[in-house]
Amino acid sequence: MKQFKTLLALVLVAAFILSACGGGEAAPQAEPDTPAAETTDAPSEQAVDPNAPVTGGTVIVGTPQEPGTLNPLLASATIDDVISAFIIEGLVTVDGEGEYAPVLAEELPTVSEDGLVVTYKLKKDIKFSNGDAFTCADVQFTYEGIVSDLSGASTSGYSDIEKIECPDDFTAEVYFLDVYAPYLRLFSYIIPKGAGDLAALDTWEYNRAPIGTGPWMVAQWEAGDNITLVKNPNYREPGKPYLDSVIVKILPSRETGVQLLGTGEITVLWDLTEADLPTIDQLDGVAWSGATYGYGENELLVFNLGPADGSAPADPSVAPHPSLSDLRVRQAIQYGIDKQLIVDALLGGNVKVGTTVLPIGYWACPQPASEFNVEKANALLDEAGWIVGADGIREKDGVRLSLKISSTTGNQLREQTEQVLVEMMKEIGIELVIDNLPSDVLLAGWDSDGMRKKGRFDILLYTTGGGYDPDSHLFSNYHSARIPSADNEGAGNNFSRYINADVDALIDDAAFNADQDARREAYCQVAEQINKDVPRVFLYERMVISGYREQLQNFRVSPGYADMTLDSQNWWLQP
Amino acid sequence: MATYLLRRLLQSILTLLVISMILFGLISSVPGGIMSAYQENPDFTAEDLARLEAKYGLNDPVPVRYLKWLGNTLQGDFGNSFISKRPALEEIGDRLPNTMLLMGVMLIVTLLIAIPLGIISAIKQYTWFDHITTTLAFAGQSLPVFWFGLLLIIIFSVTLKGADGKPLLPGSGMYTLGAPFSLIDRVEHLILPVTMLAFVSAAGYMRYLRSSMLDVINEDYVRTARAKGARERVVIFKHAMRNALIPLVTLIGLDLPSLFGGALFTETIFAWPGIGRLYFTAALKTDYPVVMAVLIIYSALIILSSLLVDVIYAILDPRIRLS
Repeated sequence: MKQFKTLLALVLVAAFILSACGGGEAAPQAEPDTPAAETTDAPSEQAVDPNAPVTGGTVIVGTPQEPGTLNPLLASATIDDVISAFIIEGLVTVDGEGEYAPVLAEELPTVSEDGLVVTYKLKKDIKFSNGDAFTCADVQFTYEGIVSDLSGASTSGYSDIEKIECPDDFTAEVYFLDVYAPYLRLFSYIIPKGAGDLAALDTWEYNRAPIGTGPWMVAQWEAGDNITLVKNPNYREPGKPYLDSVIVKILPSRETGVQLLGTGEITVLWDLTEADLPTIDQLDGVAWSGATYGYGENELLVFNLGPADGSAPADPSVAPHPSLSDLRVRQAIQYGIDKQLIVDALLGGNVKVGTTVLPIGYWACPQPASEFNVEKANALLDEAGWIVGADGIREKDGVRLSLKISSTTGNQLREQTEQVLVEMMKEIGIELVIDNLPSDVLLAGWDSDGMRKKGRFDILLYTTGGGYDPDSHLFSNYHSARIPSADNEGAGNNFSRYINADVDALIDDAAFNADQDARREAYCQVAEQINKDVPRVFLYERMVISGYREQLQNFRVSPGYADMTLDSQNWWLQP
Repeated sequence: MATYLLRRLLQSILTLLVISMILFGLISSVPGGIMSAYQENPDFTAEDLARLEAKYGLNDPVPVRYLKWLGNTLQGDFGNSFISKRPALEEIGDRLPNTMLLMGVMLIVTLLIAIPLGIISAIKQYTWFDHITTTLAFAGQSLPVFWFGLLLIIIFSVTLKGADGKPLLPGSGMYTLGAPFSLIDRVEHLILPVTMLAFVSAAGYMRYLRSSMLDVINEDYVRTARAKGARERVVIFKHAMRNALIPLVTLIGLDLPSLFGGALFTETIFAWPGIGRLYFTAALKTDYPVVMAVLIIYSALIILSSLLVDVIYAILDPRIRLS
C-alpha cells in the first residue's frame, strides 16, 4: 500500500512537472514557457496565468561539501562536477531518463563503418559566457586538456584518440587508434580554447570562474561559505534562466542542511540519502526528487569466492573460500534475504529492490527479482553438505558456517541492514558476524594493504554500479583480468575473485564493437550470467536525491551528469 | 635578556622542526588520501593514476616527501591544496579575516564578562552571587561545546521565531545570502557562535581571575592599604585588581594564537567560513598541504606567543627575571 502511494505520488509529481513545463518533451515549446515579465506590456488587469514562470529571484542551494574546483580537468569530487554542471555543458549528456542526448552537438555523433572515426555536428551560434563563439577548436582544446600532463581527468577513451580534425568550424571528426565502443560518454564537458595555458592548468582563473555555455556563470566565490552564480548573458535560450541568481551555500553537514531546508533558509539541499527521506517527508513545504543513482548503483553484497587470508591469488581455485566458493551457498544466501522487507522497513518503500547490475537508461537489462524462499535456501545448504549443528548453525567437516560481513562504520542505514541480514541468515542456519571498518580502511588500495584488494573478508556491503557506459564497471568488477593480485599490481575491483570465461569474452568483445545495440545485447548477457553465478547480491537500487522547497518549480533530479542542475534554466519561484 | 631571547628562539625552531616531522609522519600514514578518490573510479586508468601520483608528489617515499616539503616551506611555499590546487597560504588567507573577526569579538566579549564577574565574586566570596557565578562557570567549563552549540541552534534558530515568522537568530553563515551588506545582519550572525564560545571561555577566565583576586586580597599590602584607611574602592581597584590582572596576561597571550586557529567545533557547527573549518574539511580529505600549513603556522604562533608572554610578564612584574 505504502509503495502504491509512493508510486502515485511520483506519477503526480511527474504529471505536475510536465504540465509546468508547458507540455514537456511531447508538446512544442508553448507560451507558458515565456516568462511573465516579458508579457508585462499586456494590460495589468488581465488575469495572470498561475502556471506562467515568474522571472527574478534567488535560489539558495545547500551542499555539505565545497567544490575544490569547477574545472572538469581538475575535479576530484562529485560536488565539483555537480556545481560545474550549472555552468559547463558538453557535446553529449545523459538526460533525465538516463539516455544519451546531444547538447552542444546537433545530434548524437555518427560513427564510420570501421568504427574508427566519430563525427560530431556542432550547434551553430552558441556563445560562451565571455562572448566567444563555440567552434570545433574548443573540442580540440578540450581533448588536449584532458590528455595534458597536469590533467586530473580520466583519460580512458581519450587516450585512444589519434587526432581531432575540424573540416569546418561546426564539424568535429574524432579519429581513434582503436575502436572505442563507449564513445558516447566522451566530451561530456567542453573547455573553451581561451581558458588558459595547459602548462599552467593549476593556476587558471578559469578553475574558480569557468567560462561555459550553460545558463549560469560565477559572480563570486567566497571560500568556505558560498558561490554566487548569475545569469550567463549569452545563454542560447532567450529569456532564460528565469531566476536572477543561484547561490551555492556550503553547509557544515547534511543535518544542518535538513534543518535549514525546513526553515526555508535554503531552497534546495543537494545529496540526501534514502535514510533522510522520513525526516524530509515530515517537513512542511518541502519535497524531494530522486533518480536512480547516476551510475546505476546498487547497495550490494560482495561474496569472497577466494581465500580470506589476504594471499590474494589471481585464481581463487588454488584456495577456494570454504563456503562461499560453492554456488549453492551463495544462492542460498540470496534465497534467504527478504529484499523487499529491507526496502519497506528500513527505506520506507522509497527505493526499488535490486535485481540487476544494469538497471537504467539505454543499457537497462531488467531481470526478475530474486525469490525470498527459506525452504529453498535450507534445501540448497543441506545439499551442499552444510548440516545444522547443536547451536542451530550449520557445519561441514567441523567448520561452522560463520561469515563476517563488513561495511563502513558510522552509516546507520548500513548497520541496520546488517542487523536485519544477521536475523535472516540465522533463519537458514548461517551465523553472520558484523565487523565494520572506517571507510578509509575498508576502501584502501593495494599498496595500503586494503582488505578488499587483498581479499581479507567474507562478505562486503557497500554501493557500486554500472556507469553510463557499462564497459569500465563490468570490466573492472567482473572480468577475471581485474582480480586484484600481485600479477596485476592490485588493479581492478573484482573483489569476489569471480571467473567466468563467457563473461570475460562478452566484455572483451563488446569493448571493441562500435555497434551499440550489439553491445547492449552482450552486456545484458553478462548481467544475466552474473545473476546466475551470484558473485554479488543486489539488495536495492541507490538513488541520488535532493530536497527542495515546494515553491521552486521545474526542479528535478536527473540520473545523469546534471544531477540536480538539470533544467536549471527553467527553474522559477512561485511567489 | 638578549641571550635569553636568542636561546628561546633557537629552542623554538628546534621544537617546530620536531613538530613538523611528527605531523608529517602522522598525516602521511593516514590510509586513503587524495588518490583513493580516483582509485575508486574504474574510468581512471593505471596511467591516469600514475600521472596523478606524480603530479601530487606522492610517488616518493615519505622521508623524501618530507624533505621536499621542508625545503619549500622554508622558502615560504606551503604547497598547493590537493583539492582546489590553490596555494595553501591563499586558502588560509581567504579565511583568516573571518576567523579573526569571530575570535576577536569572542575574546572581547569574554573579557567583558569574565573580568567584572571574577572580581565581584572574589570580593563577595561565599555570597549567593559568588555561588551562582561559580556554579555557572563550572557548568560552562564542563559543557561539551558542540552540544551547547546545537542546543543554541535548536532554541534560537528553530524553535523561537521572530515577529516576521522567521527564525529569531540565524544559525549558520556570516551573513544573509543574497541580501545587501548590513551591519545589523552581520552582528546577528555573530550572536550565537560568540555566545557559544564566550560562555565556555569566559567560564575559564572567570574562575582564574576569582582565585587570583582572592590570593591578592589576602596579601599583606592589601591589608596595609586597608590599615592606612584607604577607601574600599581604592583598595580594590588600585591595589588589588591591578595585581590580580597580571596573570591574565598569560592567559590572553596563550589564547592569541586561536585568533588564527579559530574554533573547529564552533566554525563547523555554525558554518563559519574560518580556518577551523578549513582545517576540518582538509583533514577529512587528507589535503595534507593545507593541513600541514595550518598546523605549522598555528604551532609557530603558540611557541611565539608563549615567548612573548614570558617577556611581557617580566616587564610587568620586575620581580621576575629572565635568565
